[in-house]
Amino acid sequence: MKAPARIAWLALPAGAVLAFVYVYPMLDLGRMSFNRTGPTGAMVPDWSLAIWRELLADPFTLELTWNSIVLSAVATTGALLLAYPLALFLFRTDSRWRGLIAAIAITPMLVNGVARVFGWLAILGDRGLVNSILLSAGLVDQPVRLVYNWTGVAIGLTESLMPYMILALMAGFGRLDRTLEEAAASLGAPPWRRFMRVTLPLSLPAIVLGWLLCFVLAMSAYITPKLLGGGRVFLLATEIFELAVTNVNWPMAAALALYTLILLLLFLAAYGALARRAA
Amino acid sequence: MTEFGRRTVLAGLLAAPALRRASAQANIQGTINLVAYAGIFQDNYTRTVVEPFKRRFPGVQVNYVPGGTSAQMLGTVRAQARDPQVDVVLMDVTTSHIANLEGLFDEITPAEAPSLAELDPAARAVGLDKFGPAVTYDHLVLVYDARDLRPPLATLADLWRPDLRGLLAISAPPNIQGLALTAMVEKMEGGDYTRSVDKAIAKLRTLAPSVQTFEPNPDGYSLILNGVVRVATGWNARAQLYSDETNGRLGVLLPPEGSVFQINTINLVKGSKNRPAALAFLNYALSQEAQKAFTERMFYAPTNAAVRIEPAALARTAATPANRARMIPVDWVGIAGIRDQWNNRWRREIIAASGR
Repeated sequence: MKAPARIAWLALPAGAVLAFVYVYPMLDLGRMSFNRTGPTGAMVPDWSLAIWRELLADPFTLELTWNSIVLSAVATTGALLLAYPLALFLFRTDSRWRGLIAAIAITPMLVNGVARVFGWLAILGDRGLVNSILLSAGLVDQPVRLVYNWTGVAIGLTESLMPYMILALMAGFGRLDRTLEEAAASLGAPPWRRFMRVTLPLSLPAIVLGWLLCFVLAMSAYITPKLLGGGRVFLLATEIFELAVTNVNWPMAAALALYTLILLLLFLAAYGALARRAA
Repeated sequence: MTEFGRRTVLAGLLAAPALRRASAQANIQGTINLVAYAGIFQDNYTRTVVEPFKRRFPGVQVNYVPGGTSAQMLGTVRAQARDPQVDVVLMDVTTSHIANLEGLFDEITPAEAPSLAELDPAARAVGLDKFGPAVTYDHLVLVYDARDLRPPLATLADLWRPDLRGLLAISAPPNIQGLALTAMVEKMEGGDYTRSVDKAIAKLRTLAPSVQTFEPNPDGYSLILNGVVRVATGWNARAQLYSDETNGRLGVLLPPEGSVFQINTINLVKGSKNRPAALAFLNYALSQEAQKAFTERMFYAPTNAAVRIEPAALARTAATPANRARMIPVDWVGIAGIRDQWNNRWRREIIAASGR
């Protein structure tokens, strides 16, 4: 047996686990999407395209798709802009506090998502910290609505993505060579130009990796939009939950879940192609 | 026959039914799994129904499994359709109707569960007179901050008060509180939800800018008690209990314009592994004893028409004649068929009017 073939056997346990916990449920989901739903919600076993037709013909599906893509792009870009300087500092610094600062930066990952969101409600709510400061400073007469809307979801999602972005950026900064920046400086390039012409291009692979990872996480985020959206933010992930758990329309929930999966796969393929071309 | 002999025979005849019942109860043994709501419902149902049943049937062990929402319970029963692990399920009527249609629940006869004969006819009708009947009635109420809201909330129309702008938590459809509110506002506006909800949608559209959240989390009661909002939609039973627990901080209003019943049914799972014990529990849950204890503890209106409830407790349910007269008759199964339409109209005409 050749070496690659022998090594392929090593993938068997993981492959078997994946087939059991992922492929089989996905096939089951696919089967479910071909059932029908009766007038009062009862599921009718069938092999019908009715649910798919209804899903693709409903303009609300397009609205959900657009909402999800825009919100995910905004939150991911926000997380990138906030995380990049911190990640760069952590990558570069020789400080003995580096480990501690890195740990603090990714601490939100260790906190339960629900608890984190309720923390945001306490900070951004009408009687929260931010509004108390604004009101007491006389900057506003009425509390500014920062939660139970798109603003709240974008803030909460950005914050929840930041630790992932920091880790992805730090992992992708491998090609960042300080001697190249020193060379640029020795040739008279001011700091801003050094950053634009040397640092940023070299960190592009990290940016691509971090943005992609966080975008996918944002597209599937459920807790933050559910709790901070106040019923005003309609996304693919929240709609799948509503269909499955409130409306009991499992065939439609299954079809929408597969639609979202296909959308993400298409997005990943397009993103991969663009990233290869850029590289 | 001597006097002693006659007394012995008479006592024996009188005691026979009780002895037969005791014997039958002793024959019912094993374990049943009951799936029902979690939280304070579980605490109080266990105390007033499950524990007394276990004392009555010492051979039966009842495992109370918190089931989340009715839809989640339906998911559990669907997933176990080939090999049911659950015996009795307590859930909302729209969801139990789906389970009945899908053949997940079994039929029950008065011969198997004699308490069925004592039920309000409407309670059996929701189970199509053969499936699981209604076990509790609840109704939509408006809950408010009784400490800080001056003047207190008095009518459904008060929701549109200018001083409540930004201080409302309204559960929108598909939550059934939102569906119930739609029917109530339609009636308030002089309409009939069975024909159209146009008036309700138009009126609620003007309320939208005052709503802080259309999805109160964890619920409207908590948001009021935490000072986040002043008024919310809620269910009477839980609201009454929270009102007691907060020494009246939470006010509860059955709007004079009317409200609608929310119905929970109790159901026997088809293929139950312990049908006799499951039937015994179901029968007990519908009995006068259990219905009285649960209503007096948690203010759900009883479905057993023969039960006599303490007047003070009864007045806090919708079961008094005065309160019952205010109820808007609602066909929940019919609403399930048009729920998606209402849901879409809320999203596009009401929630959209509240801004992003």
